[in-house]
Amino acid sequence: MGQPLVQTIHRDPALFWWILLPITVVMVLTGILRHYAMILLQTAPKKQELPKIRQQRALVRGINLRGNANVLSPASFQARKAYMVSAFQEGKFLAEPDARGKPRPNPMSDPAAMEGMMGMMKGNMAMMIPQTLIMGWINAFFSGFVITPCSLAISRHLANRCCPTVKLPFPLTPQFKSMLQSGVGTRDLDVRWVSSLSWYFLTLFGLQPVYNFILGSNNSANNVTQQMAMANPGAGLMGPEQDPDKLFLSEAENLEVLEHRWILDGIEDRLIAKMAA
Amino acid sequence: MAHANLLTPPARIPPQTALQLSQKAALVLSSAPTSSLPWPLSLLFSRETPETWAIHENLLLAALRTGDDAAARQILDRLTTRFGAYNERMIALKGVYDEALAKDDKDLEKVFNDYEKVLKDDPTNISVRKRRIAVLKSLGRTADAITALTVLVENSPTDAEAWAELSELYASTGAWGQAIFCLEEVLLMMPNAWSAHAQVATLHYLSSSASVPALTLALRHFARAVELNDSYLRGYYGLKLVSQKLLPLLSESSGSKRNADEDDVAPPKLQSVKKLEEIATAKLGEIVRKYSASKKSQSGYYEAEIIAARELLDRDGRSER
Repeated sequence: MGQPLVQTIHRDPALFWWILLPITVVMVLTGILRHYAMILLQTAPKKQELPKIRQQRALVRGINLRGNANVLSPASFQARKAYMVSAFQEGKFLAEPDARGKPRPNPMSDPAAMEGMMGMMKGNMAMMIPQTLIMGWINAFFSGFVITPCSLAISRHLANRCCPTVKLPFPLTPQFKSMLQSGVGTRDLDVRWVSSLSWYFLTLFGLQPVYNFILGSNNSANNVTQQMAMANPGAGLMGPEQDPDKLFLSEAENLEVLEHRWILDGIEDRLIAKMAA
Repeated sequence: MAHANLLTPPARIPPQTALQLSQKAALVLSSAPTSSLPWPLSLLFSRETPETWAIHENLLLAALRTGDDAAARQILDRLTTRFGAYNERMIALKGVYDEALAKDDKDLEKVFNDYEKVLKDDPTNISVRKRRIAVLKSLGRTADAITALTVLVENSPTDAEAWAELSELYASTGAWGQAIFCLEEVLLMMPNAWSAHAQVATLHYLSSSASVPALTLALRHFARAVELNDSYLRGYYGLKLVSQKLLPLLSESSGSKRNADEDDVAPPKLQSVKKLEEIATAKLGEIVRKYSASKKSQSGYYEAEIIAARELLDRDGRSER
């Protein structure tokens, strides 16, 4: 092989106006629409009941005591520790003291968990339905396109399938072929040509910055990643699947074994040394 | 003092700053926060940001404080049209407005009854709970306020603001032990807050200004406050005051051997206390000198604090002479 041929495909300039631009505009608009649809579909987060709040914050208080115990004088730390440990062990802060020791109910039967799942379903639907529609639309309208006289022999062949609509202004390695020319079954076509279906995929995954610009950074226009992250809500501190009683007991144990060091011990000398320096 | 800013107002707003802030009302109120375009366009060309509403909220408080009730009403209406009257925060803000406009105790009672009603419907509305306590306080029913606050911290024990308030109420009734306990809770949540350390020290000092263990704790907490912030005037002031009290007590007891194991805190060494007193005196003198030399508004100290420090230094100088 000598010099690689510079491929030129004489495209109809109207391709730009009738394919590239519509796809892009439609994609941006769907994103915006999806953002507002998501806002409408969102249900306000359910209010926690007072005992639940108390249970969670009591645990945080225990964690705080463990983490920052060194500000307390030994006497006051011991008093607090004794109180917290016994309260934790007795389950004094539990939201449902009766449910203590019983196995946790199946999360599927919990109405609160179901609600969360419904919310997720709604989000997924808002993502899937427009995608399916647009993909069908692109396939229906833009793939059977015949471009006017093409100089290359291959163009005859690809014109039936999916037409290259845009040429990227920079060279790319052949690995990008599957990404940029989906639906075009040619080996030799320069990777820089992009088919309309591929353009759709590029915009689908690459429009996040545009949405950020239009809708603000906190948008739900293109929330593929958000959906992934949301799959496991509240798995952190007191998720529905964790037994609060167990958490309290382990926290009590943590407090028991904590070695207490008072930060104010010898502060006078420390301060004098600091000021002298 | 830093330039007053409505978005991030200082934690402690002296009257002049409040006035400065509330004088911005005309400016903020002159431009509509939401777009006046019809619906779909207003979504695209909206100028409102979360900051817009933070500014409105702070402005409302400043306006109520300085008696600009007309402006406050306008701001409140704006917030209500934006967020609805049943928003948790809006109920509390409306309550603040009503409280500020209440002329006598009867009006306040009415506000109080409204709060009770709200809380019956939704016991988790913490901000209304706090407003209710504030009303109890302004009605002078300290004991009731304390009870309400203990219920609040029982249910929400990670609320530093509530603990600090409870501590203050206990201190106002002279229940020093409880007050100290509450402030220690605050310290557990924010171990590096030098002001909280200074406040604990103050409470220890006030609780018994003649016993060595209490004074020792006061001294140590003041020292910690100064260690955390080495230009903290209140810390040095307290350090000097406490060490002055502590010095005669320590030199007295050093002759007769004290049984130290009784207390859980060993008293500090006489030498160290003397050193600390010197350091505090020097630092206070430096701060006072710098304050009078520099532009007063830029030093970051309040005039009242400086006057108190100067007075303490003067008292010291006179007794030495």
